[in-house]
Amino acid sequence: MTDWLMYKEKGLFLQSFHPAASLFYLGTLFVLALCFNNPLYQVGLLLVLLLAIWSVDGLMVWEKYLKLSLFIAIPIVLINSLMGQNGKTIIWLGPQVPVVGQLTISMEAIYYSASMCIRLIEIISVFCLFNRMVHPDKAVSFFARFTGKTALVINMSMRLFPIMVREFERIKTVQRMRGVDFNKGTFLERMKNYSSVVSILLLSSLENSLEMAESMQARGFGSGPRSSYARNLLRPRDFICIFSCGLGLGIGLWGLAHDYGTYTFYPLIGYLISSNASMVVLLLVLLCLSMPVMLSWGGQHCLFIKSKI
Amino acid sequence: MPLYQIQNLTFFYPESEKASLDKIQLNIEEGEFILVAGESGSGKSSLARVLAGLLPDFYGGRFGGKVYFKGQDIRKMDRRQLAGEVGMVFQDPEKQLVMTGLETEIAFGLENLGFSQQEMFRRVSEVIGFLDLTALKQKDVANLSGGQKQKIALASVLAMQPSVLILDEPTSQLDPVAAEELLNLIKRLNEELGFTVVLIEQRLERCFHLADRVIMMERGKVVKDAQPEQVARWAAMKGISIIPPVAKLFSRLGFYSVPITIKEGRKQLKKLFQVKSASAETNLPQGEKQCSERVLGQGTLLEVKKLWYAYDDGGEALRDINITIRQGEFIVILGENGAGKSTLLKSLVGLLQPGRGKVIFNHKDCRVAYLSQNPNDYLFQDTVEDELRFTLKNFKIRDEQIVNQLLEKLQLSVNRQVNPRDLSSGERQRVALASIMVTKPEFLVLDEPTRGLDYRLKDELANFLINQTMQGVSVVMVTHDIEFAAKYASRVIMMFDGRIVSNGKTCETFAGSIYYSTQMGKLFRGYCPGILTVQQAYEKIQPLMQERKTYQTSAERGI
Repeated sequence: MTDWLMYKEKGLFLQSFHPAASLFYLGTLFVLALCFNNPLYQVGLLLVLLLAIWSVDGLMVWEKYLKLSLFIAIPIVLINSLMGQNGKTIIWLGPQVPVVGQLTISMEAIYYSASMCIRLIEIISVFCLFNRMVHPDKAVSFFARFTGKTALVINMSMRLFPIMVREFERIKTVQRMRGVDFNKGTFLERMKNYSSVVSILLLSSLENSLEMAESMQARGFGSGPRSSYARNLLRPRDFICIFSCGLGLGIGLWGLAHDYGTYTFYPLIGYLISSNASMVVLLLVLLCLSMPVMLSWGGQHCLFIKSKI
Repeated sequence: MPLYQIQNLTFFYPESEKASLDKIQLNIEEGEFILVAGESGSGKSSLARVLAGLLPDFYGGRFGGKVYFKGQDIRKMDRRQLAGEVGMVFQDPEKQLVMTGLETEIAFGLENLGFSQQEMFRRVSEVIGFLDLTALKQKDVANLSGGQKQKIALASVLAMQPSVLILDEPTSQLDPVAAEELLNLIKRLNEELGFTVVLIEQRLERCFHLADRVIMMERGKVVKDAQPEQVARWAAMKGISIIPPVAKLFSRLGFYSVPITIKEGRKQLKKLFQVKSASAETNLPQGEKQCSERVLGQGTLLEVKKLWYAYDDGGEALRDINITIRQGEFIVILGENGAGKSTLLKSLVGLLQPGRGKVIFNHKDCRVAYLSQNPNDYLFQDTVEDELRFTLKNFKIRDEQIVNQLLEKLQLSVNRQVNPRDLSSGERQRVALASIMVTKPEFLVLDEPTRGLDYRLKDELANFLINQTMQGVSVVMVTHDIEFAAKYASRVIMMFDGRIVSNGKTCETFAGSIYYSTQMGKLFRGYCPGILTVQQAYEKIQPLMQERKTYQTSAERGI
């Protein structure tokens, strides 16, 4: 049921990156997704993200993330379009609403909402890419050097989450056979029915946690300072990735400082392409951020490139 | 100097007035393979935890006596040093794995002991190679089978290179093939690498012969500590049912030398049959007769016709299943993990909707009850009786009498006001069973109810189920326990890869199989086909023993 949320090792090129390189790449995409508000830049970034997700064989899973994003984004678009009062190009005049005033929909508000929607999809896509690209153990072991116990707790939570979901389903099945109907009754009655499942799940989890703690103690946990196991190799591909992403981030931030990548929504929408330099900056950023995908393609199709990186 | 010296060890769990370990005197030598056996609650696991230094540190409680490890008082030893010297593997692999990946799980103990990167790399790779785990490197631990997970738990302990390996019922949650594989591995560790092994087990037929010494425990006391053959003879004399069937049979027949493996047993049988062929003519024992003695059901309860079921990913779990279940039948479904057994059970009770085909009951509103693998999935009420009343309330049944009757039948009356989570695993299972039996089902379905139960508890469960079949209830259960199936089932269905490969009377099914057969079936293969239980074997062999005696006496007299 929640398998799609979990990392799957497929031996893909992008999955072979050092966690530092992967996290730097994802971090760059995340920061630029937050910073760019020019729809052209946003669409360009989304395309790079889609290419990367395609490289980790994740387009099918991304569809599920997209549905989730749209589920959140559509209400945002609707509310923002109705509430945004700063636009000048009014395309619909609605009724007067107490406190809020007259409802209007302007072209600018729709543009702004669409831009917000793309940003949300980008951010969720970054998480999708993270899930498909970075092995949780690798990421945690990378952070374990700095925050050992927190990293361990995160790792254990990641391991236990799918188990608990499975247990929840199993207990629900058992309760159904004991006559509990989860589909009938009022909302409160249904909640009450689910409370029996949650109670059992919590009681069992508490008992299980004791056994797990015992096993951890038997393996010396808490007997003194821990070391950290990380078997991550740094390859040329990681340096190229870090360099290209760093360059992309630098150009992007420089562009933002010089108003490339920004966009004016209110009171009237601005030009998507304000100058040739804006396009050059965009293309350079996209080229830099596409480097890991290009490496992945090269690594898969060219033995020479694979052997060198 | 012994590796472990235990002197007058007594232990009480917190808030318990009953000693879990009672004045235990025991020595364990380096390199020994010790098997600790006994009924549930006899103190086996507590002893294991003391040896691993977890009692009383982890649980608290009152501790008396002394335990020395390599001459040092175990309670005064540094925990890090002890964790490096004594490794422990627990029952349920799911509850002892911490990380999501194979390598990191194996390295977990090493990280705790503060090993360097280089040393960890070396040990992790060595263990992966030794246990042949390379194929699992890319897989998510959560999606592995129970056997694979238990192997990883073992690997994680082995990477710490302890001198003692303590295993607390490591096969109780595994299917027979995985259990066999794990036990063979443990034997290898003992013989080839010199690990001292302390194995706690309930399923003795697979490991009795592996041990150098068997320690029998009862109510917290060590009641016998000797070689397996001696323990087998002693247990047979005392009427203790815990020993493997082969040993039980020969002890019962009065053999001085008691075999504990099939190989040794067959040698003894061969001698017996040689004597027989030289003596007077009597009819060879024919196992086929057993089939007609089995009670089979009467009217049809349900029919399964051309049933197919596919998972979301398209994998077919059930393929063209056709079965008829009669009233009062006791059917056991066997098969390897992933054969589709549990899916079939869920389809029978309506928890899964088949892709194709039908499950047709002989009448509408047939009362169906389902017991899942884990009894804890049922327990959340404050008292045992409330647990039963919860089901009654859901089905809007007002019958307080059934609560009392079931508590009585399942020996839970004394615990009716106890919180079910405070009970032992066997008692919890009985509470779960009672909570579904309150609806007086006509069709009872159980998924691996014998898992983790000792011989006595299994017998008690079987008696309850047989009693139900006599009242017309049809029972279908999935189990890996072939001995149980042979002893109690009227029909056995074997599944493989989503299909039924065999469906027939118990003796016919087992008689035709070498691998899926009981110890008695394997012992008598080629001599008397059809014998599956110790009782059947005893009834057939006892006359031969008499014959042998007569023949020997005659030969001595020169007649």
